[in-house]
Amino acid sequence: MELNGGSVVAMIGKDCVAIASDLRLGNQAVGIASNFDKVFPVNDKLYYGLPGLATDVYTLREHLRFRVNMYRMKEEREITPKTFTHLVSSTLYEKRFGPFFIEPVVAGLPTPTELDPHPKPFISTMDTIGCITTPKDFAVAGTAADKLYGVAEGLWEPDLEPEDLFETVSQTLLNAVDRDALSGWGAVVHIITQDKVITRTLRARMD
Amino acid sequence: MALYHNPPMAYAQEPNTAPIEHRFNPYSDNGGSILAIAGKDFSVIAGDTRQSEGYNIQTRYARKVWQLTDKAVLATNGFSADGNNFVKRVKQRLEWYEHAHHKPMGLKSIARMIQTMLYGKRFFPYYVYNILGGIEEDGSGAVYSFDPVGSYEREACRAAGAAQSLIQPFLDNQIYFKNQQPESGAEPFIPGNLPLSTVLSLVVDSFTSATERHIEVGDGMEIYIVMKKGRSTDDLLGEGKLQKGMKVEELIPLGESSDDEDGQGGERTFLVRQALKRD
Repeated sequence: MELNGGSVVAMIGKDCVAIASDLRLGNQAVGIASNFDKVFPVNDKLYYGLPGLATDVYTLREHLRFRVNMYRMKEEREITPKTFTHLVSSTLYEKRFGPFFIEPVVAGLPTPTELDPHPKPFISTMDTIGCITTPKDFAVAGTAADKLYGVAEGLWEPDLEPEDLFETVSQTLLNAVDRDALSGWGAVVHIITQDKVITRTLRARMD
Repeated sequence: MALYHNPPMAYAQEPNTAPIEHRFNPYSDNGGSILAIAGKDFSVIAGDTRQSEGYNIQTRYARKVWQLTDKAVLATNGFSADGNNFVKRVKQRLEWYEHAHHKPMGLKSIARMIQTMLYGKRFFPYYVYNILGGIEEDGSGAVYSFDPVGSYEREACRAAGAAQSLIQPFLDNQIYFKNQQPESGAEPFIPGNLPLSTVLSLVVDSFTSATERHIEVGDGMEIYIVMKKGRSTDDLLGEGKLQKGMKVEELIPLGESSDDEDGQGGERTFLVRQALKRD
């Protein structure tokens, strides 16, 4: 985690979810790149973030892309956030004694079905070996996790509308990474709603 | 017995080759967190009351914030034995000063004295982070923060201790307005100018957040408020100004009111207590 740095935060709002990350890639204290995205789409209602060791970010991202494509072809439907979380979890646990150094965060909106016409927004997070937690409010991971917890605990409130959720998640991320030497160097935020995804790159401190 | 290469329990007869080394560790970490915010004509200094060592809670009420003079309050955090002793010696130095100069020491002088006292133990330091709050000579609210060996700085706000990493970025955002811009045409943000009610809410929110996410923070909180002389206390003592569960008391003035020529009285210090979660 401390080799490359980086942080991810996800939050639940009213019929929307947000997931955001910084853009830094470093080699310990030395900054290498300021365009290293750690948040990837599965489909237009489901995103996930992979803070941690950069080489494992690529490996895990490609591995999950393969597994999700196979799922899509076999099942002929999109994967749900909950199922995807368990897919990530079991992928991580397969490497129980030589783990991926990644703490994933998943954020998505389940598609309404006949059985569940009003599904709740979903976020989850895992440790490096895939132990799942599904918070009701927000999930944080990465080198600024403790700072993110502090700010998110102070700023987050229930049932935020998409634009208010954007402000909350952006302020949480920016103020947390500004106090973390290994995170920062730009930030990107995704707000997922039923009808669209808003992606914004934030102007941040570059020191 | 021939089955055994070594007879069982042979190790018990073996002479101990290497002597067991014991080493006394003079330091410990007693957890907890402190925080101070300066206003225009007041200063707020707060700390939680839990004292712990590892996963063990030693007491749910241990003082971390201390009234030094009518215009200075000191919060200590880190190794509480060092903290208590340090406060004791600061108070003694303040008493000597008053006997020598017939007036209490000013805030910035206390700050400089604390620096020399901490640096005096540069090679066996007090394992304590100090935050000094109070009213400056010019009547402004002030906060001074120190590291264990005396490096110090005057600031508008500072958090220290176990939950520093949780609280400080929140304060950067809410006190220094970091990553915020005023709407076009609106007045610019000025740090250290917030009203007392806002500052108190931020202090309470900081500690409830830290209590929620940090195991070493909780049980109770003590908030000291030092007000400039002649300042109205309505925003603290007025009807319905205190939040639910808060109890306020005014601390009796320590010094003889020698500088009361203007008839305004001296600086006033109030202590607000509030319970925090105990889990």
